[in-house]
Amino acid sequence: MTTITRPTANSGGMLGSLGRLIAKLYEWHWYVLPPVVGIAMMAMIVGAVVVAPREAVEGQVQRLMYIHVPSAIAAYMAFGVVFVCSLMVLWKRDMRYDAVARGAATVGVLFTALMLATGALWGRPIWGTFWAWDARLTSSLLLFLLYAAYLLARSLADELDEQAARYSAVYAIVAYLDVPIIQMSVRWWRTLHPQPIVMRLPGDQQLPTSMLLVLYAGMIGILLLTTWLIVLRSETERIGARATALRATLDRAEGN
Amino acid sequence: MDYLGYLFAGFAVFWAGLFAYLLWLQARLRQVKRQVELLEERLAASEDNTAAPRATAGRS
Amino acid sequence: MSSSWAVLEKDLRLLWRHRTGWLSALTFATISVLTYSFAFDLVTAEVKPLLPGVLWVTFLFAGTIACSRSFADEVEQGTFDALLLAPVPRTALYVGKVLANCVALLAVEVAVMLLATILFNVPLLTPALVLSVAVGTVGYVSLTTLLSTLGAHVRAREVLLPVLSLPLLVPLLIAGVRSTSAALDMPNGDAPWTLLLVVFAIWSILGSALLFPLAVER
Repeated sequence: MTTITRPTANSGGMLGSLGRLIAKLYEWHWYVLPPVVGIAMMAMIVGAVVVAPREAVEGQVQRLMYIHVPSAIAAYMAFGVVFVCSLMVLWKRDMRYDAVARGAATVGVLFTALMLATGALWGRPIWGTFWAWDARLTSSLLLFLLYAAYLLARSLADELDEQAARYSAVYAIVAYLDVPIIQMSVRWWRTLHPQPIVMRLPGDQQLPTSMLLVLYAGMIGILLLTTWLIVLRSETERIGARATALRATLDRAEGN
Repeated sequence: MDYLGYLFAGFAVFWAGLFAYLLWLQARLRQVKRQVELLEERLAASEDNTAAPRATAGRS
Repeated sequence: MSSSWAVLEKDLRLLWRHRTGWLSALTFATISVLTYSFAFDLVTAEVKPLLPGVLWVTFLFAGTIACSRSFADEVEQGTFDALLLAPVPRTALYVGKVLANCVALLAVEVAVMLLATILFNVPLLTPALVLSVAVGTVGYVSLTTLLSTLGAHVRAREVLLPVLSLPLLVPLLIAGVRSTSAALDMPNGDAPWTLLLVVFAIWSILGSALLFPLAVER
């Protein structure tokens, strides 16, 4: 497909075979992921619009939950990937992790924006306002700002700048560790948003099973979509880095 | 009490955002791939011209 | 240990030699408080509830101005690489700079609070208030100093620094404003805001001291 070096697996041992499996899956991602993501997203939209029952109090508009909550989960997953890859940038000094961190941050920012937009459109009829300085809304907006700032800082230097990659990795780590403090401070400050209703013990479930099943299907769909988007975006970043490297080599060759 | 307008707007924003991002990403991927090809060609040509013994091959 | 003292001495001397950095922060803070006082006076007679917000926003912006050139002098004169090679723990380089920046900003803040005492007619230099301001200063200076190493060679660094630091500092802003209004006997909710300030200061100084050596490594 491309001339980009792929992560190769170590030989021997459980870890080695696991690595080989991951490498194999990675080679297939161009053929396997798009149709799987397509099917899962179709299931998600059919589930949200057709299968799920109409909510008694909020009416049809409650169906926004099936894209709003998965978007939030996708954003958290993407930011988790940014955190892990930033640690790896500092530890392994491998620029491939930097490419994945940048790709995941872009995808996370996209889903945070989608979460904020669908949340505002859901809040307007139900709460009577698009926006309120509520705890969860504030911390989501701050997540958006933090990772947009990360991307801005990273984009000021080119892809090959290791120093910039290290700085941005440090920023991403600080930002990720700041999130719990932000959430604690804004929760003490004020709260309006309903508490999480998805991750409850079976006996303490507030959502009916039919809604929950549709929601879980949506989450699986969006997690697959997030994986695909991160892979695609990281690939783009890596090829972009190669273009920059080639240009530098060419400049040297023609300059001599 | 159904607010179908808001429901429709929410889904529209979500899908439009996703598809816009995907299309932009595809375009960008194609663009960087073409750049890499062009640069590799130019690099090969410049190596032929100088015919220097030094290996200046790009990092792979 | 003596080398760490040497670093601190160097930072304090640099602080004095490059006065323009924190003097411009002081000028900015003065102008900011004057402008707020003037603008609020146009619309409301009751300015006291707005005071904590005015103070902390001013402190945070003055902090980014004063800290933005933390290591710029060393980098521009090429002594930063020598410092990294010197037999000094890198954490000491960081702590020395944080202490110097804290000294500068505490001076700025005392001046601002004196000015605000006059303009807003509220006694501000009370022990409780000075304590919470001092703890908050340690919190935001340690984080802003770490971030100021971000791309000493990056264009538009002065603009970028507040964009990077302010979202991170929101918990400190909330806790600072709330604990300040508590010290001024205003309603502030029932949370341990001063404790949050302390937690944030400890978190930011520990995290930054751990990450600074990684950030400047080449």
